[in-house]
Amino acid sequence: MEALEMYTTDDRTDVYTEELKLNLGPQHPSTHGVLRVELKMDGEIITGSRSDIGYLHRCAEKIGENVTYLQFTPYTDRMDYLASMNNNLAWSLTVEKLLGVEAPERAQWLRMICAELNRIASHLIAFGTYGIDIGANTPFFYAFRERESIMELLERPSGARMLYNYIQPGGVRRDVDENWVDDVLAFCDVFERRWAEYNTLLTNNLIFIKRTANIGIVTKEMVFDNGAGGPVMRGSGIKWDLRRDVPYLKPYDEVEFDVPVGEGTHGTLGDCWDRYWVRMREMMESIRIIRQGCKAMPGGEVMEKGMKKMYKTPLKPAPGEAYVRCENPRGELGFYVVSEGGTSPIRCRARGPSFCNLSMLDSLLPGTMLADAVAIIGSLDIVLGEVDR
Amino acid sequence: MDILITFFAETLGMSGVWPLSFAYATCIGSLLGFVTVYAMFAIWMERKVAAHIQQRLGPMEVGGWHGWAQSPADALKLLFKEDIIPDGANKWLFWIAPAVVFCGVFAGFIAIPFAAGVQIVDINLGVFFIIAIASIEVVGVIMAGWASNSKYSLFGAVREAAQVVSYELPSATALLAPILVVGSFKLSDFNAYQAEHGWVLFANPFMWIALLCFFIASLAGCKRAPFDLPEAESELVSGFHTEYSGMRFSFFGLEEYVSMFVVSAITATLFLGGYTLPFNLLDVGNLPAPFHLIGVAVLVVKIFAVIFVQMWLRWTLPRMRVDQVMSLGYKYLLPWGLFAVAGTAIWQVWMEG
Repeated sequence: MEALEMYTTDDRTDVYTEELKLNLGPQHPSTHGVLRVELKMDGEIITGSRSDIGYLHRCAEKIGENVTYLQFTPYTDRMDYLASMNNNLAWSLTVEKLLGVEAPERAQWLRMICAELNRIASHLIAFGTYGIDIGANTPFFYAFRERESIMELLERPSGARMLYNYIQPGGVRRDVDENWVDDVLAFCDVFERRWAEYNTLLTNNLIFIKRTANIGIVTKEMVFDNGAGGPVMRGSGIKWDLRRDVPYLKPYDEVEFDVPVGEGTHGTLGDCWDRYWVRMREMMESIRIIRQGCKAMPGGEVMEKGMKKMYKTPLKPAPGEAYVRCENPRGELGFYVVSEGGTSPIRCRARGPSFCNLSMLDSLLPGTMLADAVAIIGSLDIVLGEVDR
Repeated sequence: MDILITFFAETLGMSGVWPLSFAYATCIGSLLGFVTVYAMFAIWMERKVAAHIQQRLGPMEVGGWHGWAQSPADALKLLFKEDIIPDGANKWLFWIAPAVVFCGVFAGFIAIPFAAGVQIVDINLGVFFIIAIASIEVVGVIMAGWASNSKYSLFGAVREAAQVVSYELPSATALLAPILVVGSFKLSDFNAYQAEHGWVLFANPFMWIALLCFFIASLAGCKRAPFDLPEAESELVSGFHTEYSGMRFSFFGLEEYVSMFVVSAITATLFLGGYTLPFNLLDVGNLPAPFHLIGVAVLVVKIFAVIFVQMWLRWTLPRMRVDQVMSLGYKYLLPWGLFAVAGTAIWQVWMEG
C-alpha cells in the first residue's frame, strides 16, 4: 500500500485533507474504450495522472509476422476499427511498395473516395461521443444517423459495415455498382445540410464553448515532442497534412482541398474547441474531395492483373523493407515491413496515431478539473484498439 | 381537508383524533398514488420527448399504443431485482437515504393548491415551506453518497450539496418578486389574485427576469441538465446513486420527477396563473362542487408545459462544469434575482401607488 500524501490545510492539526486517488476506467463511460487513468484528486482538481494502457493488446504486429501479407489486411481493420478503410489503405500501400507494383487508376480513385467516406464516419463518431462527454446526448444520435448512410454506402462494394477489408494490396477487392457514385453524391448533398445542423446544436452552443475553450491546450512543442498528428496537431496551428504534402495516392494531387487548422477562435490556440472545430471542418473538406473524386473517377480495372494470383498462392516479395505513412482520421498511420523473401514479413510494425496523441494526456491533465479530464480525453479522440494493437 | 374531516366525523361517526388521522391518511395515500402514476407517466414522456428530439421513436412495444406500459413494466422489474448493498457500505445510511430523499420532496405536495379547496394544508408561508422542505433531499443525497463507500458517489454527493445549497439563494430571491406583487406567502392567495388581475407574469416587466431566474435555479435544484453534475454519467458514472440498484435506485428516479413536478407547480402557481384559466374565462375557483376540479386539469396542463421545457433543455444542452455552475448562480442569477425584486418593489410603489 502506497501511503497517501497528507498535508494540513491550516494551523489546526486535527483537520487534514487527503489526496484522493480516483480510478478513471478501464470500465468507464467516457474513456472511449479500455483506457485506465489513475488520477490524483484534490477536491475537483486533478493534481496528477498516470494513464495505463494495454487492456486491449492483441499482438497485432506479431500476428502480422505469422500470417501472409494478404491475410494481415483484416487484422489492420481491427486496429483503428472506426477507420478500417484508412488502415487497409496504409497496409496495402506498404505491401505494394515492397512488391514494386501500383494499383490501377480507377482503384486509386475508389480508394480515395472510400477512405474519405470513412474519415467522415470516423469524425462523426468523434463529434457524437464528444457531445456525450460534454453532457449533450442528442448530437450522438444525429451523428449516427449520417454514419449509418456511410456504412450502407461502404457495405455495397465491400459486404461489411465496419471492418471492410476492401482495399487490398494491388487495388480494391471488387468494383462498385453503377448507382454507387450517384448515391455518394446524393449523400454529400444531404450531409452538407446536416453538418450545418450539428453546428447549431453543439458547435456554437455557449455552454459547449465554455466547456472546451481554453481547456487542454496543446502547444506546438508538445506536438513535436509526442509526435502527435491529425486534428490534434492541426488544432495547434500546424498546417501539415500527408494528403497534401506527401500525396500517397495520385488522386490527392489532382483534387483541391484545404487543410483546416486551429485558429484559437474562442481562446487559446490548441485548446479542445480548436481540435473539435478542425475535425468538423475536415468533414467538409472530405465532402469536397469526394465530390471531385466522383466526377473525375476513370473506368477500368480495379485490381492489378498480376496481383490476382495472391488469392491462390501467397505473395513473396523480394527481400527488402518498406515504410509508408498515411493520413488517418486520427493522424499519421505508418506501417513498416521487412521481408526476407518468405510468405510473411520477418518484421511488421505499426506506428499508430492514437498512441502518440494519447501520450500527451498525462501532461495535459494536472491542474484541470475532473470534468475537463473527460473533455480532454474526448478531444484527443483515441481508439484504444489502435493504442494497444 | 375540512370536507374529509367532516366526512369521517359526521358520516362515519368517528370521534377524538380519529377523523383528523383518517383524513391525513386518505390525503397522503391518494397523493402517493397520484405521485406514482405521475412519475410513471413522466418517465414515459421523458423517453418519448428524448426519442423524438433524437430522431428516434422511443418505447413502442410494451402495452401496444406507443409503449405506454413501458414504465409500469420497468417499475415491476425494479421491484423484483436483487437489493444489493455493497461491501463496506454503511448499511443503515445506505438503506434510509432513498427514503429521506423521497420524503423531502414528497412533503412539498401537501402545500400545493391543485384547485379551489383541493389542498391538504394551506400554510401561511406555503411558498417557503415547499422550498425549505424540498431541500431535505440534499441530506438524503449526501447520506447516499457517503454510505455507498464509492469515490464516484462521494464526488456526486459533494457536488449536489454545493450546488443545491447555492441555488436555493437565487431561487428564493427570485420568488420574492411575485410575493411582492401578491403580498402574501400563501399559495391560495396567488390563485385568488391571478383570477382577479391576470397572470403575475404580466404584472410588470421584471417578472420575466424573476421567472427566468427561478426556472434556471429550479433546474439546478432538481439536478436536471445542464446542471446534472451530481449524476454526470460521463464523469462520475452515475454520481451519488452509482451503487444503488433495484427499488432503491428507482426511488432516486422517482424523486427527480417528483421534484420536477413540485418546482413546476410553484412556477405555474406563482407566475402562470395557477389553476385559473387565462383571462379568467371560466371562474374555476368559484364553480360548484364537482366542477371546481377543472382547476386540477388546468394546473396539470401548465405543470406539464413547464416540465416539457425542462425535458427539452435536458436533451439539447451540454452539461456545465462545477465552477461554472457556481459562478452562474452567484454572479448572474442572484444579482438578476435581486434586480427583479428591487424593480418589482419600485414598480409596486410608483405604478400601483
